[in-house]
Amino acid sequence: MSSVEISVEAPIEHQIQEIAYDGTEIYQPPLTLSENLSKCAARIDFSKTSLEDLKKEDDKKGDEDVKDPTQLQSSLWPWDSVRNKLRDAFTEICVLSDVLSIAKEKRYLVLDPVPQELQDTKPMVQVYARKKALSQAANVLMSGAERLRNTHSEQRNNRNDFHIELLRLRQNWRLKKVSNTIIGDLSYRTAGSKFMHPGTFEVTKAEEDPPSDGNSPSSSPAAGAQPPCPKANSALRVNVPSELQGVAYIKVITQKDQEDLCTANVNLMGHGQNITPQVGVWQKTLEFAQNVLFCKELFSQLAREAIQLQAPIPHVVVGNQIRATLLPGIQLIISLCHSTGQDPTPPGPINDHDHVLEHSLHQLLREVHHKNTHHPFPHPASGPLGPSKKHMLAGPMAADRHELLEMSKSQTLLEQIISQAQHIFMRKRTQYVLDTLARDVKDPQIVSHWNLMNSPTMSCVKINIVTHGYDTINRTSLVIHVKERSLKCICRDGRVMHLSYEPQELRDLILCQINQHQSACLLNLAKCMAWQVLSNSNHLGIGPVEPLGNASSCLLASPNGDRMIAVQIICDPQIDVKVYIARSPRQDFFPSPLVPGKFWEHLGGHFKEVRFDKLEGKNFLNKMEFLMASLTSSS
Amino acid sequence: MGVTVLQPYSVPEGQTGPQTIEFLAKRLLALGAVQASTFIVDCETFIPNPQHGTPKTVHVLHNSEYPASTFAVLDTGTKQVPLVADALFDLLMLKMAPAHTSKKQTKIESKGARFEYGDFLIKLGSVTMAENFKGILLEVEYRPCVIPSNCWELIRELLQGFLGVSIPATIPPYFNTPSIMSMNHPKSSEIFNPNHTKQNDVYQPMDTINQYLEHFGNFRKQTMLSGGTGIGAPLRS
Repeated sequence: MSSVEISVEAPIEHQIQEIAYDGTEIYQPPLTLSENLSKCAARIDFSKTSLEDLKKEDDKKGDEDVKDPTQLQSSLWPWDSVRNKLRDAFTEICVLSDVLSIAKEKRYLVLDPVPQELQDTKPMVQVYARKKALSQAANVLMSGAERLRNTHSEQRNNRNDFHIELLRLRQNWRLKKVSNTIIGDLSYRTAGSKFMHPGTFEVTKAEEDPPSDGNSPSSSPAAGAQPPCPKANSALRVNVPSELQGVAYIKVITQKDQEDLCTANVNLMGHGQNITPQVGVWQKTLEFAQNVLFCKELFSQLAREAIQLQAPIPHVVVGNQIRATLLPGIQLIISLCHSTGQDPTPPGPINDHDHVLEHSLHQLLREVHHKNTHHPFPHPASGPLGPSKKHMLAGPMAADRHELLEMSKSQTLLEQIISQAQHIFMRKRTQYVLDTLARDVKDPQIVSHWNLMNSPTMSCVKINIVTHGYDTINRTSLVIHVKERSLKCICRDGRVMHLSYEPQELRDLILCQINQHQSACLLNLAKCMAWQVLSNSNHLGIGPVEPLGNASSCLLASPNGDRMIAVQIICDPQIDVKVYIARSPRQDFFPSPLVPGKFWEHLGGHFKEVRFDKLEGKNFLNKMEFLMASLTSSS
Repeated sequence: MGVTVLQPYSVPEGQTGPQTIEFLAKRLLALGAVQASTFIVDCETFIPNPQHGTPKTVHVLHNSEYPASTFAVLDTGTKQVPLVADALFDLLMLKMAPAHTSKKQTKIESKGARFEYGDFLIKLGSVTMAENFKGILLEVEYRPCVIPSNCWELIRELLQGFLGVSIPATIPPYFNTPSIMSMNHPKSSEIFNPNHTKQNDVYQPMDTINQYLEHFGNFRKQTMLSGGTGIGAPLRS
């Protein structure tokens, strides 16, 4: 083996310190031996603790201990760091020797061997552990990358920031932070509701892709059943409890013998239309959920009252349905419909629903809420809160037993809604009766004016009965107050009649009024025509018995007394008029053995019936006017 | 809410109070009146402690016809100040114990049955003071009317009818006092109009209380004099 010796040494050239402008290089003078040594010594790293290092260190220490005093005097600075390190090492050694000497005595200190745990280093376990560690590290990296990508894509899509969305959410809903989650409040408790449901929802940050929902650990199980967001441009997601999901509404049906009369659906979904564009999709979700909560509260309140109320025909509560009897044969059915389907399509026909009952139910519960939070002023500083202003004043105003008893009566929600439904039904029935009568009875015209302003349980209609062309002669007017289960009719002469809910009673009353109108008009007309009224009776006691009272009649005589007209007005079941005329004395008088003198003819009595329907004229009064005029002129 | 007139009724000789009341109740029932629960009117008098200036007596009354109210009359000797208050007023009086103390012996009450007879409300009250029977006080209320002078004759007739006692034709003296409207006038003493009396004014619940107070005062005086005089003696017993 031929070995080639290679000597490695520092180049002879000294380091260039500076190059002058003329190209001359100024060299650094080479280090002296001691300088070199101090430089090398300063390079030593004393913190190395391996055995070899320690050995080397010991060697160096030996060397430097020798040189230490000499170097100290000559050049203090270059050795200073070395000296300090050595001193530290020396201190440590001293401490170690002290500890050892104390341990040797065994009086103060005993050294026990520390049991060394034997690591069972199975290779497979190690492999797995490493794999796991690696995968965790990979996950961290992956999630970081994912998040970065998310933010990038958000910026790219001009997507709204989560925090800005949260800010908007906070402007409309109550939120609070509980540890790591944001909890919102859907309930109406701040508005005065006493419903026990917590009504909370959770706010989370939306994931990027809808399919990744299932994998994400943050989404609660409720998120799976939630209807998917129609638009994906919201950075915020709300998780509503499962019992508040879906769409709920309260259906009110008035049923007569299994036939629906009117239906009302209470749902607040109409609010969804006027969402301002800057609020997110969550607004709709939350409004639906709040609607569900409201419907549930309303229904539970109604159901509770239905059970407590002592009605003559008890109310029935079965499942999600309350049945109450309004009038005989007519039922009010209030049912809670809650569909938790994925699609929020409003089931049932909404086209023909009645806004009135819907609104009333809504309003009634809101009123209860309002009363719970707003106590009437002034309330005493020391007295209890809650009683109404009337109750507060009862003591100082010296209310007696009867007044206090009246005060204690209050209507429950169900009673109020039943009375409103009854009223609506009564109003419809009255309208129907009046309209059919106005359609059927042509001769006197029936005009009904409904008051626009009315209360939920009371409305008012004014009825005018006039004859076309003769409305200045007479006008019969009456007012009907439509209440919950009864009607109150006030005639112009001050008579007040109370009618029940049966439509036939109202029909009969109007027919009687028409009858009276006709006879009163005829009397007035006769006065204008200078005819004399010989007799007039609203209740003619003779003739066939009418189902509705008696016929009315009147007997008129011409100005010179030679003609008479007898009129009978029957109002059963249609207005029917019979007119008779008589002439006395008859112009063609032939004496007979029975009636020898002409003067007997003044007694009258030979009445002949006029075929009234063949008479000229538009209506009863018109015909009568023609008849009277013709009889007058011919005399 | 109508006009109420109080009428003391003296217990006939040889009969006890409960017997008389039972007898009157039988008569009322025979007339066709219907008993409708019971009633109680009580009066507690608070005497001021002497170190607190001028003596002002406070009478606190309760009437079961006005269950939510407490009535109080502050009697200064020359003037009576009425007050209608909440039921909490009783608790307030307890707080005023240092200034006013209640004399339990003077607590007087009238209680008994309450009869409804058409438009009339008749109450047969037996007056007791500190559990001792003092006499009989009848209360007759005519409910459809609020002006005492308009219905005094009706009430008088009813009283005469079932008590069998002749009642003076003049309205009780309480109703001849000037009404509040004329009393408030600065020259009330000069321009006093005899028509401006309580009998022509609208009847107030406080008027009932004032009448009770007046009669209770009479009963207390009787106790001191130890002799009782109601008006009139029964015609038949």
